[in-house]
Amino acid sequence: MKPVVPGCHSIERPRSRGGVVLAFLLTGLVGVPAPAQVTMNDAFQQAIHEGQARMVKVYGATAGRVDGYASGVIVSPDGLIVSMQGVYLDGQNTRVTLADGTRWPATVLRRDRARQLALLKIEHQTPDYFELSETPVGQQGDWVVTLSNAFKVADGEEPMSVNLGIISLRTTIRARLGPRDIAYEGPLLLIDAITSNPGAGGGAVLTRDGRLAGTIGRVINSSDTNTRLNYAVPADLLQQFVENTLPPVTTENSVVGGEPGELGIRVFRLGGRRAPAYIDRIIPDSPAGQAGLRPDDLVISMAGQKIGTIREYDEASSGVLAGQEVIVVVKRGNRLVRVPLTPLPRKVP
Amino acid sequence: MKQLCTAGVLLIASAGAIPVATVCGWQTADTEPTDLAAGLALTPRAFRAATARIDPCLITIESFGGSSTTRGQIGGIRLRGEGNTTGVMISPDGLAITSSFNFIDQPSAITVLTRDGQRRVANVLGRDDTRRICLLQVEGVENMPVPEMVPVDEVEVGQWAVSVGVGYGDSQPAISMGIISARGRIGGRAIQTDANISPANYGGPLVDIEGRMIGICVPMSADSQDLGSGVQWYDSGIGFAIPLHGADELIQRMSEGKHIQRAFLGIQSENAEESEGTRITAVVPGSAAAAAGLKSGDVLRKLDDHELPNVAELREVLTEYYAGDEITLVFRREDQEETVQITLGAPIRPDSEDTPGRLPGRRRRPSGDGG
Repeated sequence: MKPVVPGCHSIERPRSRGGVVLAFLLTGLVGVPAPAQVTMNDAFQQAIHEGQARMVKVYGATAGRVDGYASGVIVSPDGLIVSMQGVYLDGQNTRVTLADGTRWPATVLRRDRARQLALLKIEHQTPDYFELSETPVGQQGDWVVTLSNAFKVADGEEPMSVNLGIISLRTTIRARLGPRDIAYEGPLLLIDAITSNPGAGGGAVLTRDGRLAGTIGRVINSSDTNTRLNYAVPADLLQQFVENTLPPVTTENSVVGGEPGELGIRVFRLGGRRAPAYIDRIIPDSPAGQAGLRPDDLVISMAGQKIGTIREYDEASSGVLAGQEVIVVVKRGNRLVRVPLTPLPRKVP
Repeated sequence: MKQLCTAGVLLIASAGAIPVATVCGWQTADTEPTDLAAGLALTPRAFRAATARIDPCLITIESFGGSSTTRGQIGGIRLRGEGNTTGVMISPDGLAITSSFNFIDQPSAITVLTRDGQRRVANVLGRDDTRRICLLQVEGVENMPVPEMVPVDEVEVGQWAVSVGVGYGDSQPAISMGIISARGRIGGRAIQTDANISPANYGGPLVDIEGRMIGICVPMSADSQDLGSGVQWYDSGIGFAIPLHGADELIQRMSEGKHIQRAFLGIQSENAEESEGTRITAVVPGSAAAAAGLKSGDVLRKLDDHELPNVAELREVLTEYYAGDEITLVFRREDQEETVQITLGAPIRPDSEDTPGRLPGRRRRPSGDGG
């Protein structure tokens, strides 16, 4: 064994002119390094090898079409496990299979429905666990390997299925999901490995140096793209979840105190709620009338929010408050017209 | 930062032994081509650098209205999402390319956000249904950055490819890496990649490891011409991009408002005996073939310079033509060899996308979206 330089990977490779041990100071390259040894022929084996020992298969209740299984990661030496929240945990009989094939009954300690996380506990000491991180792990473009029991392919002591990808984007999903299908709220890591499959939830997303970048989230569709999202709940959120310090989810669109306002815009409603918000008429002497907005102008933005449909227009216009200026952008021919409007108090009919 | 990234690119791209004593502030000895681990460690930097290089050329496309007032199925998934889509500036004065899939709803208004955060009105000038792309004019812009494009014959199977798109809604693009899987797909028009291609990046660029544009990401299907076909293969490892290097004539035609469609001859045919040609079994009324007087029983021998030994060859040859192209067809009718000039037509569709309320490729299902 060669010494491990703290903060470094030691990289060994066969050479024709004498074996030389190279030490790559990868600190600036992959962020915070892990004390793992990487040989020259090692692509991802080390991260996978270490990761497999820290993975668990979680089995719970099957109810109707809901899958009764998921993946999980061990995050403490005394048997704390982070997995995916779901109705499969509702039953009394939640079991965990470790990498060595041993089976353990698990207690559900905590669930977070906004982030779709569950904290499980087994009464078992183990040296194989992932260190969580207070700070984000991995950045856009970094390699990741995913370890999960997608489709329940692995049984007993069989290792998890592994996929390769990169981090596509660190983003916030609030904007990604429409108000009708919120299944997750908070920052996340989009990855380009395909993980959005039954049983993969709770699986590990590891950087090449073996650090836990996040756990695979449950299967959800993006409203924006109508595609399944492949994503991970970031490691820093997992740390807060385990420590029970996750901030509560705040709900948007909570109307702060104030009197409802009137802009004087009437939109063309015959096209249905998914039709664009063309102005049908303008109330004379209203804020919109005085600002010069006209029939046939298309409202495309209010208060910085895109207005794509009548429905979005209704949501935005019902939130305006008397006396509080709101910026309205309309499309008129090939021009965009941006007007500040100060709503009047809404008349009670 | 940029210099560091460039250094990373060089390291990966170069095959020779390079001393990299102080690149990016990290230390190492000399590296050799076999230094797999070192190359792997540098690749993420190259992905980021490539993304940073193409980033200024991206546009975020916002659509308003359209015909998707009801839910339906398209290419196996529900209609396209509600979010914004991606495009790429290709001229400093505001020409931009995107995938025509992004306008499958036929929106009544389009605006775009350029990378400086400015919102502009955009209009569709023309489109090419055979490539699933369309040309936009972004109004009121000048000096827009445009991507460097890779010549198609320099694209090699196995090289890195990164797909870039803003469809997930963040101000920053999401990226997916892969390799080039094939060239000359779908009638020679598309490059194939295993990087994730989906509504999140349709219309966005597929770039090489240096951030040069290989093509525009589009949904494509070898089996169907419908605008939404191929979407069912999103993120599947089978993805397509349309190269634009040297496509000046195509862009010119679209900028003149042309709607480029595949050629439609208008016959059903079968293989004639002993590979002597393709025998017509039926002629579609109102088609180019009908107008030229072709009849059932005629045996097609030659289309311009292409021999037509069988039906498959005829189909293959026709993919190289567009609606409106003039062809010379040699055929045999009752032992007489005859020649006819034909102006190829466009596909005749009962559920044309010009028909209100119907979308191409859309199959109505009795209920819901099936999850």
